[in-house]
Amino acid sequence: MSISGRESYKDELTKLAFENERIICIEADLGGKKHPFEQSHPDRFFNLGIAELASIDIAAGLAEAGFIPFFSTFSSFAALRAAESIKLAMGYMEKNMKIVAAYGGVSGGWFGTTHHCLEDIAIIQTFQNIRIACPHGEIETRQVIREAAQSQEPYYIRLARNAVYDSLDRAEESSCRELLIEGAERANAKLCLISVGEEATELCKTILQENDSVVHAHVCYVDLKSLKSYIDELKQISDTFLVVEEHRATGSSASALALLMPECKVYSHDCGEKWPMYGGTHQDVLDYLGFGLAHLQQQIHFIGGTDGF
Amino acid sequence: MNNIDTVYEPTPQSEHLNNLLAITKEARKLIIDMAASETGCHIGGSLSVIDLLIGVYSKYVQDENTRIVLSKGHTAAALYATLYLYGLIEDNPAESYGQKGSLFTGHPNHKLPHIPFSTGSLGHGIPYAAGWALGQKVKNLDGLGIVLGGDGELQEGLCWETAQIIQAKSISNFIYIVDCNGGQNDGYVSDISPIHNLRQRFEAFGFHVEEIDGHNMEQILAALALNREKPLALLATTIKGKGVAAIEGNPDSHYAKIPERVASKWKRSLL
Repeated sequence: MSISGRESYKDELTKLAFENERIICIEADLGGKKHPFEQSHPDRFFNLGIAELASIDIAAGLAEAGFIPFFSTFSSFAALRAAESIKLAMGYMEKNMKIVAAYGGVSGGWFGTTHHCLEDIAIIQTFQNIRIACPHGEIETRQVIREAAQSQEPYYIRLARNAVYDSLDRAEESSCRELLIEGAERANAKLCLISVGEEATELCKTILQENDSVVHAHVCYVDLKSLKSYIDELKQISDTFLVVEEHRATGSSASALALLMPECKVYSHDCGEKWPMYGGTHQDVLDYLGFGLAHLQQQIHFIGGTDGF
Repeated sequence: MNNIDTVYEPTPQSEHLNNLLAITKEARKLIIDMAASETGCHIGGSLSVIDLLIGVYSKYVQDENTRIVLSKGHTAAALYATLYLYGLIEDNPAESYGQKGSLFTGHPNHKLPHIPFSTGSLGHGIPYAAGWALGQKVKNLDGLGIVLGGDGELQEGLCWETAQIIQAKSISNFIYIVDCNGGQNDGYVSDISPIHNLRQRFEAFGFHVEEIDGHNMEQILAALALNREKPLALLATTIKGKGVAAIEGNPDSHYAKIPERVASKWKRSLL
């Protein structure tokens, strides 16, 4: 049985740290009690308390000292609250440090607007030099953590809350930096869905099953450098794309891809412009924002026009 | 020696006190009800801060020039209970807490009346309240900026930046109430990042400091009534889960979702 992305992160990092003594785990009071990393590597685990800006700058210092710090908090408290620290330490100075940001999008459900983050990808992407990964499910999350540990690049890894997803099958030895295509055999496909993140990938899996005119390209990395690397392959699939992403339209992967492929039609299924002010489950909040299966089906119908897909 | 034959005749002041104690008991019931909702709630901290909230609202609820901010926003259940019992919101928050379409989210929502600032990202409520207080000062009004924060929250640098500004700009119409329950999400404040010499820290920033029992309503009211010329830091020692014997003092009570039968039992046995 799979476990959530957050739990996968803790477990994978704990395992990696047995092999790599440079790995350090930093929390800011949101890692939970009995953290597996703390139990296995107490001398390399630091809960720095409720202090996100300081934590990121301290991680930069640790990186300069030769360590590979992984710092985890909620996405809002990292990407928004500590944006300047990320810009300078990770973007400009390219310190080899990794942020693992849970509660991405509106996965916090009833916790409310202070705990939602629909702006993080836009902000981090603006800074340049930072790899941004939005893994789907346990297997992909574990692989991203391994790739982050091996890479010299700064990483921002966006996770959800506690939901459990089964990752898509990826060929062995395949990197998460490669596109993962479903329905590639559909020669007459007219629309390519591009999924970013966990809920978006689940939606695209469903659409793929019910509509044989679409192809699904799942992307895990969505920083500008990664998006550029997908372009040639995407253009071979289709000239019409619908990017599904739990994020604002502004600064979304759709907006970046539209700029990178001006000759193509790039549409966006995103979380719109409303504030997620009400309670409810993750799904309830997404529904309020117009993000979900029914809305996506309508949008595909609209894009298909009278000819349909 | 106590004279058990003495007939206790309540004075208007003790009537007020008894009334407040009754309100805090009702508020605790509402908090327990919210812990029994589909989502559960941050019950431990809500039960630690509720006496302070009731005390503050009892004194300032009709003061149009004063703003009260709950900066430790995860204890929204306590704030919602307080606002409801003071008639500042119409709907019983326990009936829709956390649910789809409800503004009673897990952290305070400024879309609700009498919540001036959405909190939950720790630290932000303190400068907001200071800003309100500064505004009153500039306008030569006598309103206060009052903030209730947590002791764990003091780990955020924003709290101390604000203390610096309060001293620098002589914002004396400011009250900072610290709910010192000793807990935070991952455990005890003393284990994670202890706040040493808290009184001296606030005094160094020019505050008048009072240390009280945060569950003793008389002490709360007395501290709020102090004549002073400096900003006030009220360091209130409290107990996480206060009033519910099953969880009192247990840091694991930070967040809980309980069955209805447990809620009923806890409400009946409130201390």
